[in-house]
Amino acid sequence: MLRTASFVSLALTLIMIAGCAEPPTQEIQEAEKALKDAQESGAATYSAEEYAKLEGTLTALRKEVTDQDEKFTLFRDYGKAQQLSASAKADSERIKTAATLKKEEAKAAALQAQQVAEEAVKATQDLVAKAPVGKDRAAVEAIRNDVDGLKSLLKQVQASIDKEDYPAAQTQAKAIHDMSQGVSTEIQHALAKVGKGRSPRKR
Amino acid sequence: MALDQTHTTLAVILCVLCLAGCVQAVPPDLLVALEAIDQDLIALRAPEAAPEEYRQFVRQWVALKARVQLDDDLIRWPWEATDLENELRRLYITSERTVSQLHERQASQHRTAQATVARLEEQLHVITSRVEAIDGRILLGERVVQTDLLVKQARSFFEQKDFQRAMHAAEKADHALKAQTALLSQELGRYADENQIASWQTMARQTIEWSRIHQSTAIVVSKADRELMLYKSGRRVLSYPVRLGFNGMLEKQVQGDGATPEGRYRVTDKRGQGQTQFYRALALDYPNAEDRRRFNYAKKLGRISSAKGIGGQIEIHGADNELLARTLGCIMLDNPNMAMLFEGVSVGTPVTIVGALTRENAVALALSELAQRRNQI
Repeated sequence: MLRTASFVSLALTLIMIAGCAEPPTQEIQEAEKALKDAQESGAATYSAEEYAKLEGTLTALRKEVTDQDEKFTLFRDYGKAQQLSASAKADSERIKTAATLKKEEAKAAALQAQQVAEEAVKATQDLVAKAPVGKDRAAVEAIRNDVDGLKSLLKQVQASIDKEDYPAAQTQAKAIHDMSQGVSTEIQHALAKVGKGRSPRKR
Repeated sequence: MALDQTHTTLAVILCVLCLAGCVQAVPPDLLVALEAIDQDLIALRAPEAAPEEYRQFVRQWVALKARVQLDDDLIRWPWEATDLENELRRLYITSERTVSQLHERQASQHRTAQATVARLEEQLHVITSRVEAIDGRILLGERVVQTDLLVKQARSFFEQKDFQRAMHAAEKADHALKAQTALLSQELGRYADENQIASWQTMARQTIEWSRIHQSTAIVVSKADRELMLYKSGRRVLSYPVRLGFNGMLEKQVQGDGATPEGRYRVTDKRGQGQTQFYRALALDYPNAEDRRRFNYAKKLGRISSAKGIGGQIEIHGADNELLARTLGCIMLDNPNMAMLFEGVSVGTPVTIVGALTRENAVALALSELAQRRNQI
């Protein structure tokens, strides 16, 4: 009789322990934070596909917790939720690292394009500086205007870099580089005209 | 014997049932198919181009995949339908539709962006050449390179298959082109203004009349058509093409603006060989009293900086360099034409410089074409 009572109390204790299953609150919070960190690292832009999957995992995790919460206390099992939160945490670390790397690569590419564009504009400015200042300056006056324009466009590249919009900065810098080369060619043609077309002095 | 046979049969049936009961919860080919759908969506750049659709797919796909992994140890009977399999099948059907829709959408975006960028480039090309023809490049200032940058950016994004950004840049370029043409119309609109043209016609007519009455020579210059006309006793005897200031279509306001002045002037000096660097030159009395009055009034109103001067040394001259297309504000002729003009003109000859003499002048026509193009952009 005593033995039977012991078995029953043991079974009840076990059931109570199992029934007291708590949601893995800390793990879930950590997973949510990891998602936020990944987003702040630019994952939504630079690892869009993986970031979307991470969001998916978090959604699945939240749903699993809700599903378990809705169950009768004794039947709750947060094992799946724990697995999902661990997986989300690990994934977010990986995605964060990958996104940071991709962002750094994009930044480096944008900075390099910016430097190339700046050098091209500088070369064009130097060429304009050699242009005549007397009556012949009419030949390059319109071009001088464009060089001033190119100089202000460089500010737009910097603004895009400041906003961390590296793809835009890169396309802007590339366009400025191409335009600078076009303007340089135009100046060279104009300067050639200044030298070539002059009438012999009749004094 | 019969009992043994029965036992064997039962054992076989049990084994078959056990084996059948071990079938996987979800057919593996269904998972492979969904994995392929995911890859298709990634190839279509859905995470960037259609984030909402991709998020929806991924949310379900990840949740179902997690269930597949966690339910892996469950045993079911082959005839037992599973909710998981049904949900995966539903997801497959929906996402297959999404892939097809995205494919169509992307193809359509590609076509639209391609047409838009190409049209924009063509518009920019035409507008640039018209602006060049009416000497509007300086007038537009930095807008020219800014617009060019936007068009180039649109092309760049298009080539990177980033159609959204390509269209965004194209839209900004559209606005920039419209702003350019609007500014040109505002600054050069007087070439299309009937009252202004009538006023210029009157000035020219009075000069020609003076030539007729005084049986003398007179010069009329039309800036829009870049033409100098020589009159003798009221009759046009010669006409020459001219080159003007680098900002020649504007009315001269200050020194160094590159504009060619408009008004009634007289030849104040004839500079022959050795007296000018420009082959031959006819000096004009710019600035005259009217120019000074206008200049001082503009300065008083603050339209002109107090540091600026009115300028001077405006001449009709030959070419020091035949290849140069523009002057600093003077009127330049080819040397053979300048030689003939120089012979036929004396000090005191009236020179009337006007914007245009007809409504169908080159600037008005260019502005009208630009306005039409602006509406097409």
